[in-house]
Amino acid sequence: MMPAALKGSAIKPKLEWPTVAVSVKSVNMVYDGVHAVRSASFDLETGKFLTILGPSGSGKTTLLRLIAGFQRPTSGEIFINGAAVSAVPPHKRSIGMVFQKLALFPHMTAAENVAFPLKMRRSDARAIPARVERYLDMVRLGGYGTRRVHELSGGQQQRVAIARALVFEPDLLLLDEPLAALDRKLREEMQLEFRRIQRELGVTTINVTHDQREALVVSDEIIVMDGGQIQQKARPSETYRTPSNAFVANFIGVTNFLDAPDGERRAIRAEKIRIAPTRNGLVGADTIVEGIVADAIFEGERVVYEVRVASLGDTLLRVFDHDPSAHSQLEPGSAVYLGWTAGDVLEFKP
Amino acid sequence: MRVSKSAYPLTWRIMDALEAFAAFVWPARFGRAIPWMMLAPALLLVGLLVLGLWQIGDVSLRTLDTSTFLMSEAYTLANYQRAFTESLFAVVAWRSLAGSLIVTVVTLTLAFPYAYVMVRTSSPTIRKLLLIALFLPFFIGQVVRAYGWLIILGNQGMVNEALGLVGIAPIRLLYNYWAVLFGLVQYMLPFAVLMLAPALTAIPEELEAAAGSLGADWARTFRHIVLPLARPGLVGAGLVVMTLSLTDFAMPAILGGGSQDFIANAIYDQFFRTSDQGLGSTLALLLVAAGSMLVGLVFTLFGAGTLAMGRARR
Repeated sequence: MMPAALKGSAIKPKLEWPTVAVSVKSVNMVYDGVHAVRSASFDLETGKFLTILGPSGSGKTTLLRLIAGFQRPTSGEIFINGAAVSAVPPHKRSIGMVFQKLALFPHMTAAENVAFPLKMRRSDARAIPARVERYLDMVRLGGYGTRRVHELSGGQQQRVAIARALVFEPDLLLLDEPLAALDRKLREEMQLEFRRIQRELGVTTINVTHDQREALVVSDEIIVMDGGQIQQKARPSETYRTPSNAFVANFIGVTNFLDAPDGERRAIRAEKIRIAPTRNGLVGADTIVEGIVADAIFEGERVVYEVRVASLGDTLLRVFDHDPSAHSQLEPGSAVYLGWTAGDVLEFKP
Repeated sequence: MRVSKSAYPLTWRIMDALEAFAAFVWPARFGRAIPWMMLAPALLLVGLLVLGLWQIGDVSLRTLDTSTFLMSEAYTLANYQRAFTESLFAVVAWRSLAGSLIVTVVTLTLAFPYAYVMVRTSSPTIRKLLLIALFLPFFIGQVVRAYGWLIILGNQGMVNEALGLVGIAPIRLLYNYWAVLFGLVQYMLPFAVLMLAPALTAIPEELEAAAGSLGADWARTFRHIVLPLARPGLVGAGLVVMTLSLTDFAMPAILGGGSQDFIANAIYDQFFRTSDQGLGSTLALLLVAAGSMLVGLVFTLFGAGTLAMGRARR
């Protein structure tokens, strides 16, 4: 559908058919008897930022290493820009990769690290210095070229790794949880940095992480993996609002399951439950239950309650109260009412 | 509350008892002396060695009176003059020096891939086999091993018998320079591998994967990443192989059959054949000097940090 602003106007949107940059077709990976990736298939459009999200052992890193070419799939095929690559070694693929531990070369300066792929790909030696400087500028490290890797801070090392992975203008950028080791503030800063650079260059990117917040913040699309299988591939808002199954709902966001784990499952997000000391405070709710506050955790911008609900089999429901000023904070032990609207209930087939 | 056995294992109790005993024998206020106490045995040994060197230095300055077989009372530099002018010693010195250089280069070349495969292989079986093959020769002494080569490489040895089967006349494989160098390389290989392995382990495998993804094939990954990062190990291993070969005695004596003497053999001859302790001491001191200069040269060229000495570079 055309954006509203263009409807009826003379300006036609530029027709640019999406081309597929990466295509994974029923890829399986078995090693040492472990089925690490099970019949994984997906397409990724050129220029998109995809995040593969999953807990450790979900097969997300294996899938990334298969795309990078460090391992060959047991069966299935991977296409990059239309060409089958399973038989192509990593150094002949046009892929920039930022590794979990960055893998910067410690015996080289920042600039030498960035120049390395250009030298290995036999670029014109005279053009290399200017190009390296341009990419160091892009990651805001202009003037840091002569520093050795160990003279740089963690964040600066991240930036060198990004510049090194992008300087040869690869078809594809792979990020193997490079932010996992950073402290939270720096991690969030680098997430936005990744997003900025990716948009600036328009390079197709696949990011692997177990951090659901990072996936929601940086991605155009999210693939959720568990047990070697792709559970859902969707845009971030879609993944959050309409998770395709109970695993996805549980992995992204805080979700309360309202009934027994067998049979059709119903769930509600913690922020969709309203809490009030009286029934009158929940006008408009379709379902109202009674409960006892088991714990109240003050987190600054919100209060997280754990409420024991006898009518739901004595389960603990987690509730985010983003406006505790409406009533004073409810103390543990106090009787409360929880309410939600029918439209907010998520339903999953077993 | 009773403490369960697993929460406070027997080894901890034993340590407690030992600590209590130590505190009784060596009260805490003597604590500051402990580091010095622990240094004492090593200092004592080095001290003895220095005393010995002093003695050797003293003898090296006296000549042997061939009529009485006593050392001269007066000090003279005659031994040093002989050591530097007589062509025999120049030949021996050159042979040892060139030999140890060749042995070092060949040994490192052979040891590097061995150590690399041993460190990088994903198969525990291969790693175990390589380790066993490496350590087995250690349990056989150098002399016994040299005799083994006599049996294998001799005129009626296994190699010549095998050659005879395909109609090749026996070749004299022993008692030449190459036999000595061969024996030395074979002897030094485990040392070199054992010194290279930790250096290669210290190179993260991810660096090689990264080089690959950045466009380097294995040869260029090796040249630009593995080799430069393995340099400390190579320098350390090279130093050990070089000094051990330079001062080796058994291989030149047994596989060289007296015709391929190294410096150590010449020193032995002076001490125990001609009984010229003066000249023997002189040669020994010159060998120590040459070895020290070699180590000093390597340290100035590559820095002492190559042996992980001093503080790690930050």
